[in-house]
Amino acid sequence: MRKFWTYVVLVILVLFVLGPFLWMLSTSLKTQGEVLSSVPHLFPTHWEFSNYVKAWQSAPFGMYFGNSILVSGVETIADLTLGAMAAYAFARMEFYGKQVIFVILLATMMVPGEVLLIPNYITLAQFHWLDSYQGLIVPWLVSVFTIFLMRQFFLGIPREIFEAAELDGCGPMRTLFRIVMPISKPIWVTSALIKFVGAWNSFLWVLIVSRTPHYFTLPVGLINFSTDIGTIYNQLMAAATFTMVPLIILFLFGQRYFIEGIARSGIK
Amino acid sequence: MSFRLRRSLTAYLMLLPTLAITGVFVIYPVVDSFVISFFKWDMLSNVRPFVGLQNYRHIFADPLFQRALLNTVLYVVTFVPIVLLLGLLCAVLLNQKVKFLAAFRAAFFIPYVTSLAASGIVWQWIFNDQFGLLNYLLKQVGIQPQNWLQNPHWTLFNLDVMGVWQNLGYVAVIFLAGLQNISREYYEAADVDGARPFQKFRHITVPLLSPTTYFLLILTTIEAFKIFLQIYVLYGASAGPNNSGLTLLYYMFNEGFSDYRMGYACAAAYVLFIIIFIFTLVQMAFSRRVHYES
Repeated sequence: MRKFWTYVVLVILVLFVLGPFLWMLSTSLKTQGEVLSSVPHLFPTHWEFSNYVKAWQSAPFGMYFGNSILVSGVETIADLTLGAMAAYAFARMEFYGKQVIFVILLATMMVPGEVLLIPNYITLAQFHWLDSYQGLIVPWLVSVFTIFLMRQFFLGIPREIFEAAELDGCGPMRTLFRIVMPISKPIWVTSALIKFVGAWNSFLWVLIVSRTPHYFTLPVGLINFSTDIGTIYNQLMAAATFTMVPLIILFLFGQRYFIEGIARSGIK
Repeated sequence: MSFRLRRSLTAYLMLLPTLAITGVFVIYPVVDSFVISFFKWDMLSNVRPFVGLQNYRHIFADPLFQRALLNTVLYVVTFVPIVLLLGLLCAVLLNQKVKFLAAFRAAFFIPYVTSLAASGIVWQWIFNDQFGLLNYLLKQVGIQPQNWLQNPHWTLFNLDVMGVWQNLGYVAVIFLAGLQNISREYYEAADVDGARPFQKFRHITVPLLSPTTYFLLILTTIEAFKIFLQIYVLYGASAGPNNSGLTLLYYMFNEGFSDYRMGYACAAAYVLFIIIFIFTLVQMAFSRRVHYES
């Protein structure tokens, strides 16, 4: 009996969480007439798939999509590569000032990025990087969180593996990319997922850096589209759907890595 | 060159990209922001007179800033308790050996990985006064339809609903990890003593979960202080009716990027930064003490 109530409450909470998504899908498939009817149905009486085509064509969504993939992809690959290099240095190498540098990097994690928007905007203006891919991407090429996650993982790898690699004449870079990275798959998949999701959903930075739609990513393009078309809700919901669906699919495939990575950040 | 120095040099080279980017885009702006907050500057002109604390005095006297501070604090003190209680409820339920645990967990987590721009547009449609789902559902149970987005009294409610919806899964997942860390032996010992479910929750779960609760309390508080995007999206690039959705970050955004008053904007940013910094320090000071298990 107690089990029964557990499920009842869980289902109510799931309906609250997934309800907006169902409502979005439902609206995205309705005719404008049905959208504005006084009695809403969950299932459209006439399935209007053309809303997706119309929405896709009423704004340069193909371009936004390309920008999103480019920006998130480059940031993720750079974050993994540069983050692994830094993590390796901290985990396995001795150098002067190691502790101090590590503590300073950790301290930067406490700085909320939003607070730095104004000076960073000024820096970009001085670099002439406003409205450019460099401006969108370069400030986000590394994240201390990734370095921290990877360093923890590298510290747990048996010392003998590194010693064997060095006996074979491998330098640090070769050891890292030939030997350490292949056996560290769980941690870089986790880091990559967290980074990619963050980059894809990034909004405020893209809003400030891009002046012309040419450099909009999907979220900013979507908001721009919504200001333009106003209340044509079926097309708006179609556009919202194709903005979020790639990430939801990515999340569902990688959820084990993603959720465990997040949960680990909480326990430390 | 000695071996040790050569190893050091390789390490520095491997760290160079990280240090360069963090230096230019995190460490330098922390200082620069502070400096700008003491100048009067519109970004375009070459003159940049030093004004001392005048920017800080100005914003604290500005009714809009006071409004923003109040709105932000109201959001924090409503959102944080609600999301923590509901998240704990989810986690406790999910910890009852339920079937489809992975599916439930994933479902709760989806809003957290969804772009706020996209979900904001969906919520705008749900809150629509004429054809929105919320008013329709209320009408079914005999409640008058409301002007959710036009009436300033509902702004805090709307933002709380959206915030809880988005963060519930995150809070639940971390609570769940905390619950699973509690050793079964405590509960078995309590069972031997004939403890009732609520007694076990009160005297075993709550104290042993406190490091997790504490971590989440600070983290969600910090996140809540930075609220901006929900408002921007829900109210179509405005701060809501009558500035009812004007928050600290929104104030900084308006001063900086609409009016180009960089001094005021940086002063506001630093006020927000200091608030967040205090919470971070409190967390660091206490996280060493609030530990029951290693």
